[in-house]
Amino acid sequence: MNGNGNGNGNGNGNVKGIGFGETELPHKQLEVLKKAVRLEWITIGFLAVTVFLVFLVMGNSQAMKAAWIEDLLSFIPALVFLVALHVARKKPTAKHPYGYHRSVGVGHLVAAVALVTMGTFLLVDSASGLITAEHPSIGSVELFGQVFWLGWLMMGVMALIALPPVFIGRVKMELARELHDKVLYADAAMNKADWMTAVGSIIGVGGIGLGLWWADSAAALFIAGSILWDGLKNMRAAVEDLMDARAMTFDDSKPHPIVNKVDEYLRSLDWVADAGSRARDQGHVFHIESFVVPLSRRTVSLADLEKAREGCIALDWKVEDIVLIPVTELPRVVQESQPARA
Amino acid sequence: MNRPIRLRFAATALGLAVGLSGCAPSFPADPEATLDRVSGGTLRVGISPNGEWTDITDEGEASGIEVTLVEGFAETIDAEVAWVEGGEEQLFTQLHEGTLDMVIGGLTDKTPWVNKGAVTKPFAEVTTSTGVERHVMATAMGENAFLLELEQFLLNQEGAP
Repeated sequence: MNGNGNGNGNGNGNVKGIGFGETELPHKQLEVLKKAVRLEWITIGFLAVTVFLVFLVMGNSQAMKAAWIEDLLSFIPALVFLVALHVARKKPTAKHPYGYHRSVGVGHLVAAVALVTMGTFLLVDSASGLITAEHPSIGSVELFGQVFWLGWLMMGVMALIALPPVFIGRVKMELARELHDKVLYADAAMNKADWMTAVGSIIGVGGIGLGLWWADSAAALFIAGSILWDGLKNMRAAVEDLMDARAMTFDDSKPHPIVNKVDEYLRSLDWVADAGSRARDQGHVFHIESFVVPLSRRTVSLADLEKAREGCIALDWKVEDIVLIPVTELPRVVQESQPARA
Repeated sequence: MNRPIRLRFAATALGLAVGLSGCAPSFPADPEATLDRVSGGTLRVGISPNGEWTDITDEGEASGIEVTLVEGFAETIDAEVAWVEGGEEQLFTQLHEGTLDMVIGGLTDKTPWVNKGAVTKPFAEVTTSTGVERHVMATAMGENAFLLELEQFLLNQEGAP
């Protein structure tokens, strides 16, 4: 029996409200979502100022160029989050029966590929600067009637913009956990690590000031490496989700506990002998297929199945699209994925 | 990156910055010590003849607006100017190789030689039939103390933009 088909007719599908596809967000998550959207707009505003300032002062420093490109790339996760959110809200249609949740995964992959591409470009660019021994030239700047070395201004700007993203990132991390949003998580992780870029470019420019021409390219290499690393990490996570790997927590640290909870709940029902589920992460919500083995000599009624399905949905807001399948024996993958049972 | 490593990274960076800034003679410093060498010594200047800006006779007598500026600059750092005449490509190759300290020749900020030399901020603006020309000089790449010294001199001249 396909529980989802029934659910659309008489379930939450008719209720109006903000959510992801058919999924209504609980009050708490709704607040978190609003906060996340606000924070992303703040991030975009902050980045716009940052990109403009760094562009004004970056001069011939390779490290400053790398930092500037990283700031430019930081727009992508923030924009992807906002766009994916807009798309994921759409209700499932005949053409898109699973809804639009995967927009998050697509956005995640796009952001990751952008990071990998630019990281690689910067790595090659900076390494060639080091190999051909390019000596970066930084001259003077006139500001408020004072003539001084432009490097001071570079270091000042980088010191100024180093810390705010760290605080924004910390807050976003918590929101990403609540919303189970991996794009927001990737964005938060990048923001949190942003100060290293700033410190890296300060060291690079400071090195130029000390007459160490290689310090600039070396610092740029470090920044390029961190961009590439971010990209590869996120690309892997995005591809895993698009490949329907088992649902993990928002930071991909462990299998998501909700799948086990569903199994445990189903097993606790009086007509169920055994149960096992496979779940895929659609973006914010999970699609779960639960196999249930009814007790022998017990007739399973439609009402039993319907009640079991509603019970599962009540466990967590991420469980909405769940399908119950009565079987005589659990499929192999489901048996293997279960933790050892007492 | 976990917390102890991050803290150690920050501490090292800070220590390095403080430690290194204490031992530099000037900030910014020249990797090849150009300013130190030419102060009280010889300033090797490549000159490419270009109208009223730069000219040089067969006897090696240099003249022009930029020649006057360079001689004035040399005076401030107590240097003797050694003129080397040539075409732009030849001079910029020498500048890049380190056998010249600077190059003049009516260069503007549109000069294509930016990979072989560091250009100063414009020291003169001239309106011509093709638009505004911003005149610059070129110094050896990455010799930032020298570049800064020259730029500060040029900015203090009358008629600097």
